[in-house]
Amino acid sequence: MPKAPVAQPKPEDLKPIPFGTGYKLIGHDYSTNELVAKVTGQAKYAEDFRAEGMLYCRLVLSPMPHARVKRVNAEKALKMPGVRGILTPDEVPGHANYVNDNGTMIKADKFSELALADEPMYQGEPILAVAAVDELTAANAIEAIEIEMEPLPFNTDPIDSLRPGSANAREKGNVWVREGREEKLKEVKWTADDFAAEKEGKLPTGEAPDHWSYGDLDAGFKNAALVLDETFSTEDVSHQCLEPRTTMAFWQNGKLYLYTGTQSTMQTVPAIARWMHMPEENVVFISEYTGGGFGSKITGALTLVVPALLSKKLNAPVMMRISREDEHFIGRARPGIRARTKVGFAKDGRITALDMFLVSDAGSYGSNGDGGACGQITSLLYQPQAMRWRNVTVATNTPPRSAQSAPGGMQAIAIVEPILSKAARKLGIDQVALRRVNSPEGKAQYGPPGRDGDRDYVTSCYLKQALDEGAKQFNWDARVARPKQSGTKVRGVGVALSCYHGGSTGFDGLVVITPQGRVQIHSGIGNLGTEAFIDVHRAAAEILDVPWENVDIVWGDTSKPLPYSCHSGGSQTVHAMTRAGHAVGLECVQRLKEVAAKTHGGNPEDYVVANNRVARKGGGSAMSFAQAAQAAIKLGGIYDGHDVNPQVNAYTKKSVAALAGTGLVVSAKDTYKHDGDSFSFLACFAEVEVDVETGKYYITDYLGYADVGTVIHPAALGGQVLGRSTLGIAHAIGQKWVIDPQYGVTVAERFYTNRPPSILDVPVEMKWNALNIPDPETPVGARGCGEPPVGGGCASITNALADALGDNIFQRVPVNSDTILTSLEAGRPMQNPFVAHI
Amino acid sequence: MAVIRDIMPAFDLLQPASASDAQQLLDRYGDDAWVMAGGMDSFDWLKDRIKRPRVLVDLSGVDELKGIRSTSDGGVEIGAMTTLSEIGSDPTIRKNYSLLSEAVEHVAAPQIRNQATVGGNVSQDARCWYYRGGWPCYRAGGNECFADTPVGRNREHAIFGGDRCVAVNPSDSAPALIALDAKFVIRNSKGEQTVDAEDYFVGPTADITKLNILKPGDLLTAIRIPATWSGAKFYFEKIRDRNVWDFPLMNVACAMKLSGDTIQQIRIAVNAAAPTPLRLKNVEAAVVGKPANADTGKAAGELAVQGAIPLQFNAYKIPLMRNLVKRAIGGVQEASWA
Amino acid sequence: MSDTVEKKVEEGTPNRVTRRTFIMGVIAGGAVVGAASYRFLAPHHALLPSEGAGERLLTLNVNGKPRRVDVMKQETLSHTLRNKLGLTGTKVACDRAECGSCTVLIDGVPHYSCSVLTHAVRGRKIVTIEGLATNGKLHPVQQGIVDAQGFQCAFCMPGFTMAAVGFLQKNPNPTRAELAHGVSGNLCRCQDYSKILDALMRGAEYMRNGVPAGKSAGSERRA
Repeated sequence: MPKAPVAQPKPEDLKPIPFGTGYKLIGHDYSTNELVAKVTGQAKYAEDFRAEGMLYCRLVLSPMPHARVKRVNAEKALKMPGVRGILTPDEVPGHANYVNDNGTMIKADKFSELALADEPMYQGEPILAVAAVDELTAANAIEAIEIEMEPLPFNTDPIDSLRPGSANAREKGNVWVREGREEKLKEVKWTADDFAAEKEGKLPTGEAPDHWSYGDLDAGFKNAALVLDETFSTEDVSHQCLEPRTTMAFWQNGKLYLYTGTQSTMQTVPAIARWMHMPEENVVFISEYTGGGFGSKITGALTLVVPALLSKKLNAPVMMRISREDEHFIGRARPGIRARTKVGFAKDGRITALDMFLVSDAGSYGSNGDGGACGQITSLLYQPQAMRWRNVTVATNTPPRSAQSAPGGMQAIAIVEPILSKAARKLGIDQVALRRVNSPEGKAQYGPPGRDGDRDYVTSCYLKQALDEGAKQFNWDARVARPKQSGTKVRGVGVALSCYHGGSTGFDGLVVITPQGRVQIHSGIGNLGTEAFIDVHRAAAEILDVPWENVDIVWGDTSKPLPYSCHSGGSQTVHAMTRAGHAVGLECVQRLKEVAAKTHGGNPEDYVVANNRVARKGGGSAMSFAQAAQAAIKLGGIYDGHDVNPQVNAYTKKSVAALAGTGLVVSAKDTYKHDGDSFSFLACFAEVEVDVETGKYYITDYLGYADVGTVIHPAALGGQVLGRSTLGIAHAIGQKWVIDPQYGVTVAERFYTNRPPSILDVPVEMKWNALNIPDPETPVGARGCGEPPVGGGCASITNALADALGDNIFQRVPVNSDTILTSLEAGRPMQNPFVAHI
Repeated sequence: MAVIRDIMPAFDLLQPASASDAQQLLDRYGDDAWVMAGGMDSFDWLKDRIKRPRVLVDLSGVDELKGIRSTSDGGVEIGAMTTLSEIGSDPTIRKNYSLLSEAVEHVAAPQIRNQATVGGNVSQDARCWYYRGGWPCYRAGGNECFADTPVGRNREHAIFGGDRCVAVNPSDSAPALIALDAKFVIRNSKGEQTVDAEDYFVGPTADITKLNILKPGDLLTAIRIPATWSGAKFYFEKIRDRNVWDFPLMNVACAMKLSGDTIQQIRIAVNAAAPTPLRLKNVEAAVVGKPANADTGKAAGELAVQGAIPLQFNAYKIPLMRNLVKRAIGGVQEASWA
Repeated sequence: MSDTVEKKVEEGTPNRVTRRTFIMGVIAGGAVVGAASYRFLAPHHALLPSEGAGERLLTLNVNGKPRRVDVMKQETLSHTLRNKLGLTGTKVACDRAECGSCTVLIDGVPHYSCSVLTHAVRGRKIVTIEGLATNGKLHPVQQGIVDAQGFQCAFCMPGFTMAAVGFLQKNPNPTRAELAHGVSGNLCRCQDYSKILDALMRGAEYMRNGVPAGKSAGSERRA
């Protein structure tokens, strides 16, 4: 594929398109198929399943941030009535190699977590599991277990971990480095001189294993009209899905059945097989409803494995439902990043050079890509003419991190946007104008040059258009012109750019037209609530020109034949699976025409498919879908699934084989061309009102204006734009971790202490909109929007706060009364940006 | 012994139908009994398995402790088991003692207000996250404070009255009841006793393991609000991070009687500043006879925070308290665009 | 940052400017805290749980029907509903009265069923999400949610719905802000609270004026 950017229409020439233009289904609202089950309480989430003889399991968590389990005495517990057994770390499978989707063998990561730990790396890590006839008995048994633990050196703070002489989180070191395909730990300690900057409130910088750059940084700074050098910290924020991780496991005839809630469905099976060291074909995975994921439940996890192992050991179904407190420890979190960013601006606000240094907190297990994504998103979203990125990913004895909606991207935007705001004030440029001059457009490039010397680029970007339309809808100019202060209240307005990856390619679609004439679409995507697992199939239905009432969706159970589908995470789904849906829709139309031609004569091209029928053009012979399906069964071969489209993935082939003879069985792979990488973009606007006497503020207005390509399901997209914006707002206004560094122990594991936002913490009517301009590189034109709003949600608030209060108030999020009041009193930032865990 | 949370251990449940039955049960079980009103505080302790009572005395069936009645002096008596929602919507209280209505409406969340009682709200335990987490601190009977260390996480702790323990009293209704000069009625086997609202609360110097004067066998039965402050000029404000569920970073409750612009009488209290709700007598004395304006408020605010000792992370409470007191007396300069 | 927030505090308060330096000294070497320091995380006085663990047969009024059920003394209503009566529509997300997923109506008033003892609701009328629809016809609030595609993962949905129904029975014609206050005891983590309010406001309208005939799916574009 050619790598050179191609010309695209100028954003100025593009106008928003009314949703649904040219489509019968796409872009139109409807009620998703599973909504009535949800609203009547009939929808079964993992914790709602029961099985004959089911046992309940509870976990024992490490009270220490780093320790070795020396001795466990469960004798008394095991003798208690109703206690059925325990699971110890020596009974869980070790790290395994695995083969990925491309057939490549990935070597076992010996640093990754196991189902239970004999050397817990964080307070709250599971070290034992107990199964009993009910949870009360299990809890009582746990209190009767004696555990002797030897404390080991620990460090819960990434900056302190880089200090000379400090303890490492893990025996092998404190910093993650990549060697080829493998992530390894090594010890990195900075010098006392490196730490000198700390005295001025700046992030100290030292050896950084990860780095890249492009352009002439020195020249960029030299030619700049303004250079800012800012330190900023983002907070560790738990996913806190509302549904606590729950799994019910049982074994039957050598097969493992797991009822649980994860984001992905078909992609979860290989992950479980890997954790369990067992063949994929012996894993049956049921997850019809999931109570939130946000990146923390993409596939398998220890919470699936522990009940599976206990069930095998005790030969009984085992249900494990972790508590909200367990969820705080085990349920994953976004890594906080401490950043120092030097940015040069030309007189018109254009970024001439950007030098970013990051310290990313990886927590106890595994590196993560947040620091890397932070650099990439920065380079895309603000298009600096020259950029250097350096990053240290530090292991700490804190709960494991994972992807959280816009991993790294959220932090990038939270870190860079306040600098843009400050620059606009210093240069006397309107905030929207400064962002416009830096906004990417068209096939915008990002990241460092690859081996071939070329930089990657996006499929399309109409962010300037979204910014202009958003500013209009938000009445930006009028709001800026209004008085700022009245009484004790100060108003501020903020705008922020936002973006993230918006989709992948190369997956399969699978459709059966049944002899009853129903269109049965098989979905391997997880139902994590965004409705994408249903919405994407509107692409196939649109092409088949079938009324939605005639469509059934099969999902959430891998004992049913499902197609090879994307991981439901990273905003892949809408993009990846509308492509697969489009492909299978076209394939289905072709097969219907062929069946009609074979039955009634003529060529396939003589037929059209519409309204549940395939009919000869201009009248004459016609078949209902039911008749066509019956004919397909008679024809056999490629028509009823006895033969399969050779392009599809092996997983899809197996599913087609299982469906053979049940109707017109059609599968297809997304092979559409795709020039560039898919990213979605938003312009986010917010207004705040701060009381300067109490530091209390309210967000009075919010608008997220999206460039996500074609809108598939407006209500669902609105949910993503505003829901994920609110996750970003949560970072700005209050969600956090609090760890006592002396003991390495969390003190805020409850909602009332870690503070996810309530309905009264956001504007009573938040607004969203979308350009609905199709992406030229994908057939339906649609991209994902799960991740992209998060950074903009956060930064539009912090920018509005800075507009209200000035630049010298905060150097980290979240921003609350305490920060605002103390800094207002002092006239300078009074909150140490590195003591983030408060 | 390994630790497990979030499963309530078994206890014996006693559900008296009358106050005298409740009284007898408390006498019989003494230290072994845990008195539960709405349960919003109790369930936390029980589910954490940190407090392990043998007997739980559930007062939810004692109807005589519920309801709002007029008293002969023209005030009101509120049964200790009256829910915060009932108080918040009671027309008499809204009309004459809106300070209390406002305070209870700022408590937690609607469902909690539907169940939490005023007796429970004033008697609730401290919310220091170390103490609640089961650390063996002074308040838990140990000999250490984990919050008041150089790195202790003490953003929400006391700036006044710390004595080994620096936890604050988290009640929103308590300062309002102090400002209204309420009397708390306590019953035990020896009879009935009435104390001034502010005397109901104890700090660590008096008893480091408790926030109020109740002893085993004591039952808070009612709160009486005298007619004295009926229809006075009231001010209540609560500052919290989230607008639902959260306990106060600080709150202030003030009742003033004015003659023209001049403060004739005043009672003012803040909470979440100290281990007890603080009645600010020095402020009261200083402002009587002065005009209720911004200047008086400013001086009152400065006076209120004299002697405050911040911890590592809670110095913001000093300007917060200063400004809340200032606003309570001098009023808020409202935005004209609102 | 060598100085700390205390620096700007008015005169007369102790100067703690040097504290941060001290912290660095304490923490710099990393930390190993003795095992004894963590013993506190164990319960202070564990009692054997035998006493009072027995169940007693109660009759509860749930969704208009008398239900006989064996209940432990310490059992919460959410546990009874979900594990004994099979009413799993009521969700338990925090079990600590701080998310609202378990909201049910008790005598028409919304309560967190995770924080109500089942023994305390004898003789009272309990309504759960399963009890809202009548003869297969959705409650107007449920219909409003379906028509406006309210909620995402929907784990919070039963609780929100019950809180809204309880609130709307007493306040049938709320403003959007009033309704937000009415359901403010419910947490959503997918977090499009605006769409939730759209759906519940539509439900409120259906309660007042009846559910319109025919399909009316879709919230209006918030432009």
